Amino acid sequence: MSLVEDVNGALYEVIDPELGINIVDLGLVYNIDVNEVNDVHITMTLTTPGCPLHDSIVGGVEHMVGRVEGVGKIDVELVWQPAWTPEKMSREAKELLMF
Amino acid sequence: MISPGASTKTETTIKLPLAFILFGLGAFVTAQWILFINSDSLTNGIFRLPEIWMGAHFLLLGWIVMVIMGAMYQLVPVAFLTKIWSEKLGFIQFTITSTGIIVFSLLLGFKTSHAVYGAILVIIGIGLFLFQMGMTLKQQQQTTPMTWFVGTGLVCFLVTIVAGLLLVWTMAFGSSFNYTAIFHSHMLLGVAGWFTLLIFGFSYKMVPMFSLSHGFSMKWAKPAFFTYTIGLIALIISFFIQQSSIQTIGWLLLWIGFTFFGLDIIEILKKRIKKKLDRPFTFSMIAIGYGWMIHLVAVLLRIFSIDNQTVWSWLIFLYIVSWVMFSILGYLYKIVPFLWWTHKYSSQVGKKKVPMLKDMIDDQIGIILFITFTVAVIGLTLAGLAQFHFFVALFQGVMLIASLYYMYSIVRVLFK
Repeated sequence: MSLVEDVNGALYEVIDPELGINIVDLGLVYNIDVNEVNDVHITMTLTTPGCPLHDSIVGGVEHMVGRVEGVGKIDVELVWQPAWTPEKMSREAKELLMF
Repeated sequence: MISPGASTKTETTIKLPLAFILFGLGAFVTAQWILFINSDSLTNGIFRLPEIWMGAHFLLLGWIVMVIMGAMYQLVPVAFLTKIWSEKLGFIQFTITSTGIIVFSLLLGFKTSHAVYGAILVIIGIGLFLFQMGMTLKQQQQTTPMTWFVGTGLVCFLVTIVAGLLLVWTMAFGSSFNYTAIFHSHMLLGVAGWFTLLIFGFSYKMVPMFSLSHGFSMKWAKPAFFTYTIGLIALIISFFIQQSSIQTIGWLLLWIGFTFFGLDIIEILKKRIKKKLDRPFTFSMIAIGYGWMIHLVAVLLRIFSIDNQTVWSWLIFLYIVSWVMFSILGYLYKIVPFLWWTHKYSSQVGKKKVPMLKDMIDDQIGIILFITFTVAVIGLTLAGLAQFHFFVALFQGVMLIASLYYMYSIVRVLFK
């Protein structure tokens, strides 16, 4: 398995404490880049700009990715464009929120 | 294309908002206690008495204003993506305002002619808050409808306290001011101007955030803002020139403005992803319905020229309690767990098992509390209008017990 897949797997463990759904299924993770020395750059968003859970989610990402074997430096970049939309959620996440 | 985010780390430390909120909870219970032991005055519908003023100011200044200030110290960075200008000033402002509110409210009840001295402290405290918020909002990169509502709400607040100072000045030293017109303007801007515009403004951020709504237009925000603000101005003019037709138009504009706001909220809720809303948040949404109905009743009372003082006194009571206070009761049940969770567990996500936000507060107790508050307010109003003293005292007693339990359930969050 590639390091990108390992990192992506670790991100499934970061749960949005308000919604109780992991950030990958919520569609918050836009991109994972790993360079030649295994430094990881994650581009992600939040459901709304200024979300009060910003620190905890970004901190959770840094911590969980830091536990993946072989990972170098971790850089989490939070972006607002393109804005998050519900279409980015997985089917499972949509089902959980709908009922 | 992915473009970099703007400011992301804008949170205020928990101590500042929490200090305001805890003071507010204490004042809430104190106000209910004062109103309970003076329930005979409530029964008679005579609200312009020192004891009722004391209870009303513990409720309005001590509870609602302080909680709003605390919530703003947390929400302004969230909603406007800008840091609080000076947290140190925030703590100074808290000390002055809280001391001022206690001194002022007690003087209103026990030595009205000296209340002006407490009022000066309150005004300094509120003045510092307005300065703080002015400086904070000035840093905002892009204005939104929220900025208009919150900014105008703050202006209304400033005018309210200036009018309030004129009132206590008149009580202490006498003056040639138009006391009645200033008194009515003080109440209107304090309750409808400041509270309502602020709730409108923050609802545009909080309702989509808590319901996970997306793709809504907010097309009524501008008409709501202008209609409501013009309505406020029309009402103030009518108080001074004593023109009842302008007063009717003023109330009508407030109701239309409220309706525009309500249409936006309905659209936001219709487009929500989170189908099952949290109960406390639902309670705040129901409060919008109460607010709309109270505005409508005010218009009807004006159209049918019903000027009965008791009826209007209870309508103002309902306005404050079922619209403003219920909105705050609901939102606070969400905000405090958020505050405490981020303070205690934010840095531990991923490192160990942390509770979900819904585990921080008992939703079921919330439902019981919110139903109890609703029943108590309806009972209190009906008993007050019918002037049944036993039932006024009974329902005010229920309010007191519910407020004590509400305070307990919020404080319990801080031990999780």
